[in-house]
Amino acid sequence: MTEELGFGLLALILVGVPALRVVTSGNLVRAILWLAATLLGTAVLYALLHAAFLAGVQVLTYVGGVVTLMVFGVMVTRKHEGTTFTIDGTGRLRGALAALGFFAVVAAAIVRTDLSALSVVEPPSTQDLAFSLLDRYLLAFEVASVLLLAAIVSAVVLARRRDPAPDPATPRDAAALREGSTP
Amino acid sequence: MSPSVTLALVTLVAPLAAALVSVVIPPIRHRGMPAAILTILGSLLATGASALLLMEDVAGRAIRATVPWLVVQGRGLGEVGVRLDAVSIPMLGVVCLVALAVQVYSVAYMHGESPRSYGRYFAYHALFLFSMNTLVLAPDLLQAFAGWELVGLVSYLLIGFHFDRPTAARAAVKAFWMTKLADMGFLFALLLLYARTGAFSWDVALRPEVAEATAGLVFLAVMGKSAQFPLHVWLPDAMEGPTPVSALLHAATMVAAGVYLVVRADPLFAQAHWVQGGMLWVGTATAAFAALLGLVQTDIKRVLAYSTCSQLGFMVAALGAGSAFAGYFHLGTHAFFKALLFLGAGSVIHAVHSNELKDMGGLARRMPLTAVTFALGALSLAGIPPLAGFASKDAILTALEGRAGWIPWAILLATAFLTAFYMGRVLVLTFLGKPSAAAAHAHESPPAMTIPLVALGIPTVAGALLGPWLARGLGGEMHLHLGLTPVLASLAGLGGLGLSLVTYLRGREAPLAGTLAALDRASVVDRFWAFGYRSLLLPLGGALRWVDRYLVDGLMNGVGWGTLEAGQAVRPVQTGRTRDYALAVVVGAVLLLILAAWR
Amino acid sequence: MTLRALLLVATALFSIGIYGLLTRRQAVALLLSIEVMANAANLVFVAFARYGGAPGHPLVLFALAITVAEVAVGLALVMLLYRRHGDTLLDLASEAKG
Repeated sequence: MTEELGFGLLALILVGVPALRVVTSGNLVRAILWLAATLLGTAVLYALLHAAFLAGVQVLTYVGGVVTLMVFGVMVTRKHEGTTFTIDGTGRLRGALAALGFFAVVAAAIVRTDLSALSVVEPPSTQDLAFSLLDRYLLAFEVASVLLLAAIVSAVVLARRRDPAPDPATPRDAAALREGSTP
Repeated sequence: MSPSVTLALVTLVAPLAAALVSVVIPPIRHRGMPAAILTILGSLLATGASALLLMEDVAGRAIRATVPWLVVQGRGLGEVGVRLDAVSIPMLGVVCLVALAVQVYSVAYMHGESPRSYGRYFAYHALFLFSMNTLVLAPDLLQAFAGWELVGLVSYLLIGFHFDRPTAARAAVKAFWMTKLADMGFLFALLLLYARTGAFSWDVALRPEVAEATAGLVFLAVMGKSAQFPLHVWLPDAMEGPTPVSALLHAATMVAAGVYLVVRADPLFAQAHWVQGGMLWVGTATAAFAALLGLVQTDIKRVLAYSTCSQLGFMVAALGAGSAFAGYFHLGTHAFFKALLFLGAGSVIHAVHSNELKDMGGLARRMPLTAVTFALGALSLAGIPPLAGFASKDAILTALEGRAGWIPWAILLATAFLTAFYMGRVLVLTFLGKPSAAAAHAHESPPAMTIPLVALGIPTVAGALLGPWLARGLGGEMHLHLGLTPVLASLAGLGGLGLSLVTYLRGREAPLAGTLAALDRASVVDRFWAFGYRSLLLPLGGALRWVDRYLVDGLMNGVGWGTLEAGQAVRPVQTGRTRDYALAVVVGAVLLLILAAWR
Repeated sequence: MTLRALLLVATALFSIGIYGLLTRRQAVALLLSIEVMANAANLVFVAFARYGGAPGHPLVLFALAITVAEVAVGLALVMLLYRRHGDTLLDLASEAKG
């Protein structure tokens, strides 16, 4: 019981707190950094759960790749005057209610389920994992490759420079939004 | 399907087909003559079929061929088909023959009309023949009602044929609403019959009060259709229609439909003795009243209209006395000689271009054929032996012997005298004496008009011979006997005729003519109905129109408006904002999870 | 059991992600929230791989690949949004209104 509690607390601190900061931070760059913290915390959890390889992959792709991508995204789309500050918070009540409702339902289901039949198992080693990718999960592996290719191509196509200038009406809309009224 | 039934169906289908073709293919109707040819062709087929049916011997056995109508839960609500027996076949023959004669006559009479009107006229005639046959051949009261209403509609259409004439339009509406009002009796009788017996047949034994109520309600409709007092006022006004229409509908067939219905439904009326008593008196009163008014009319068609009304009263009285045969016999003979008289009058009107008796005179020399046939018709109507009219009138008077203390018998005998008298007046003023200015240039009508006159003249004269045959078919007997009634009837006829000839040839007027004319001008009954129309019917119609426009239409429009408003109200849900849609997804997911988990 | 604790933490993480998904107006911030949610799902897979022997690890690898693809395309869309409206506020893309 105490093990459970302790583990739960550790997990919460490792991932729960940073995640909260991700969704509540006013500064976009800070939010991205908090995401990095969340992902790192998850990697630690993976390691604790004997999924060392996954922890490594997590750090590499998520923290290294995705976060970097996010930063680039922010840099490219920020306004040319000063840093990008975000003003958020509309619909907070709705969001909170929906999130809490979701949590309540799923948590209730988890608590009421009898999980005693599940015992501790040693997860596959890296070698086993590699073999399975090219053996059992070969099709999924190949499809994932195609998916990544498709994503790259579509991202390039979508982000091509086509339009000469932004919609002339919307800078006004954007300014209005920032001030809190709807366009 | 037996050959008889096939023949009966021909009498229905042929005119219907002619009518449908004329209606559905406008070019045929608009060119005029093609529609006339179609209608007459249809009538020829129908007449031929009915003639063949007449030659069969149906005495004592009836052929009934029906199909169920409006099948609900395996059982039909009513029946549609034909019933061939000694009641329907003779009437069928009369209707088809007179219709054919009138239609042929119309070919020449309606020549002055535009082709479109001409075609419309003949289309209506075809529809009429179909409708009337539907009524005549009806196997139960439901189909009879259908035919009844249809002929009422065609009557409206034909009375108001020249609808651009205000008098004609008003006369058509008047005829329509008055008869429809009376038809409510028929409707309630149908409801009552269905409630009590689950069917619409007249061949059922009913409890006395039910029989009286049903028969009484039906008789209400008969009073409207057959112009009995006080529902008679539409008939003189109906003379606004073309003269052939007056001949066919408002003398020979449609108005007689009421009498036919009572004959047809005799098993029902035989159980209703109070109603029969009422019929006796209503018929007698109508006959006398109408004859008196007919004496002072100046329009030749109106004389004949009141005469028709009077003769219908005779028939109704006979039915009231319990003799379906006498009423039916007179119906048959009257159809022929009254149609003849109307067509003859039309011939005269055509020649002098006026309906008024004062514009006629001395036409016997200039229009011999018309004069002779008209005179024969007049003599038959006046009840001069041995013409058809005498035989049938005698049958009626015989049936009335001893009933209600001989009073109706006496009144009708006097009315027979009056009948001869006013017909004599017409004969003198139209064909004898000095011609008026208009009559001086008159000439005989074309063959298309004179041949039907001759054709109708034959049964007018010889119709008495068919009496015994008809009587046997109805399960009775008829023989000409030398008794009190025939002698008195003959004297009444001859006397009335002679006296009128003497009076009018000398240019004098009948006694009390002035009083009667004043009574006619007062039109008490007519004013009563007009008042009722204005103060009750029109406001009621206005109220219903308000309900229809604001409540019924309002409801429908409201539904439409409500739907649109609801759509507009729901529109804001579509914000176009991703966040809102994401919220919807999440909420939906949560709900589904709850549903799945707590099943 | 620690499994239950892990699952509850993962659920909490996912719920936090939902909150962010519904609240954030900036497009990039929304993507961050989605990342959090995907992370929570992966955590569940790994947990069950440890407790119960489910084939969770390969699933996580594939989930990772898919998530990365999604981020790439998502950022491309953010670029489009910025170019169209001069800002990255998601409410600007409300052409489906009405």
